[in-house]
Amino acid sequence: MHYHYPEPIAKLIEGFSKLPGIGPKTAQRLSFHVLNMEEKDVLFIAKALVEAKKDLHYCSQCQNITDVDPCYICNDKTRDPSIICVVQEPKDVIAMEKTREYNGLYHVLNGVISPMEGIGPEQLKIKELLVRLKDEQVKEMILATNPNIEGEATAMYLSKLVKPFGIKVTRIAHGLPVGGDLEYADEVTLTKALEGRREI
Amino acid sequence: MFIENLQLKNYRNYNDLDLSFDRQINIFQGNNAQGKTNILEALYLLALAKSHRTSKEKELIRWGNSFSVVKGSFKTRRGNLNLEVQLTPKGKKVKVNQLEKRKLSEYIGMLNVVMFGPEDLSLVKGSPQYRRKFLDIEIGQVSPSYLYHLSQYQKVIRHRNNYLKEITNSGENSVELLEIWDIQLIEHGTKVILKRINFLRQLEKWAKNIHSNITDNREVLSILYKSSLSLEDGSLRESDIMEQYKNNLLKLRQQEIYRGTTLIGPHRDDLEFFINQVDVQSFGSQGQQRTTALSLKLAEIELINEEVGEYPILLLDDVLSELDAIRQTQLIQTIEDKVQTIITTTSIDSIDINTLKRSALYHVEAGKVKIGN
Repeated sequence: MHYHYPEPIAKLIEGFSKLPGIGPKTAQRLSFHVLNMEEKDVLFIAKALVEAKKDLHYCSQCQNITDVDPCYICNDKTRDPSIICVVQEPKDVIAMEKTREYNGLYHVLNGVISPMEGIGPEQLKIKELLVRLKDEQVKEMILATNPNIEGEATAMYLSKLVKPFGIKVTRIAHGLPVGGDLEYADEVTLTKALEGRREI
Repeated sequence: MFIENLQLKNYRNYNDLDLSFDRQINIFQGNNAQGKTNILEALYLLALAKSHRTSKEKELIRWGNSFSVVKGSFKTRRGNLNLEVQLTPKGKKVKVNQLEKRKLSEYIGMLNVVMFGPEDLSLVKGSPQYRRKFLDIEIGQVSPSYLYHLSQYQKVIRHRNNYLKEITNSGENSVELLEIWDIQLIEHGTKVILKRINFLRQLEKWAKNIHSNITDNREVLSILYKSSLSLEDGSLRESDIMEQYKNNLLKLRQQEIYRGTTLIGPHRDDLEFFINQVDVQSFGSQGQQRTTALSLKLAEIELINEEVGEYPILLLDDVLSELDAIRQTQLIQTIEDKVQTIITTTSIDSIDINTLKRSALYHVEAGKVKIGN
């Protein structure tokens, strides 16, 4: 006869297993850890989980996740509304913001075109992007999708789509990492860097 | 490159093996299923961090053990080289001179080997898939950028085929997105084709020479890259190939949508071999087909020497006895004094006596190796 966990623990383990990167053993370890935690900490996590799900939604403008609408970036009057940087995921906005160099607005696609996963342009926030391009005084669109097959295809698709709007479309550069030595770069990266060279 | 020492721990049917080498030619003799090929496989593993026989690396760990270690010490032009591959059911670790390398791309290429086994004899008459694999493995060993473009190409193909099927099934005729995939398909596909053609030109140069030596100048070997793109007038300018690639895709669009798959490109290309202008695959004798395969493999050795500046180690799995006396002599002459060679065979009877005299002999039985006959 197998030993069964009491139902509350079994449910907790099942819950944790639904998270990405968590297998049955880790789920079990986390569950027992929760049992040993102070009640106020447990309540804090539970509340945070529920509120994150309940209070967060997509910004009606940039489609980033936010608790207020429009989000704090779209609402920031000091930012330049004539440039829109298109990224794949909300976490890419955080990455761009860390540079403290970019002062325009964003648009989050929430994915990339990937027929292998059945994702086409319809599943991305592209309609919403086109609406913004029509209404606002946008002069430049920066395509900052990842430099891989899917990101590249998405960037090409968008540039084709936006061409008729008469907006300047740019693609972020890829090539050598800053602080790296030329001799350590692999030949593919070097080739890309050569292709993207500019006059100084 | 010269192997001085090989150590196997819990590898295949070897519990603990420590072998030293000091000869150019090394012959491992033994009955079937005693562990001869496992030694060649271990060397292949040290060079390419994978087996030539299986993609399931768990199979390499001796039954009932939780890990396996393969170590080799080599003399190279650039000094001593120590390589190590550790296998566990969770994955593998590779080390160069005791330092772990996180990226396999930093490891592969430290040691070069050329493997010639019974399956290579079908290089000429086997299916096109086999010849494409030959190209991919051999070019990949010397060109990391080939591997990059090839893997990108394969990803694009998968996306594009999925999309073509979507169009086929929905009946909608939205070619806009298809054109987006075409751009990357053409970009990476062209790079793959160009690198293959350049590689073949170099390979042909050596193979021609070797082949005419084996045949006493009676046969002239030539190799043709048979592209599914129907490339006109053999122009090798990148922009020309891209242009023709694009036109070909346009012509085939309806057919591709109907079939739901990509019909042309490097994944459908093939090689053709000619002896005195006659197609070897269709009209050559079995002997000619074997000689062609042998010439190609020997040419590969020369090509690696040209690219890397040093001869690879040659691994001959059960093929020496498959070759007649003339071809054996030619093979031995080609490798003599410059290419260290590890040979496996079930019987040394058919091996030339002069070769035997200069070789180190090992006897393999049930996972144990004894020096001598």
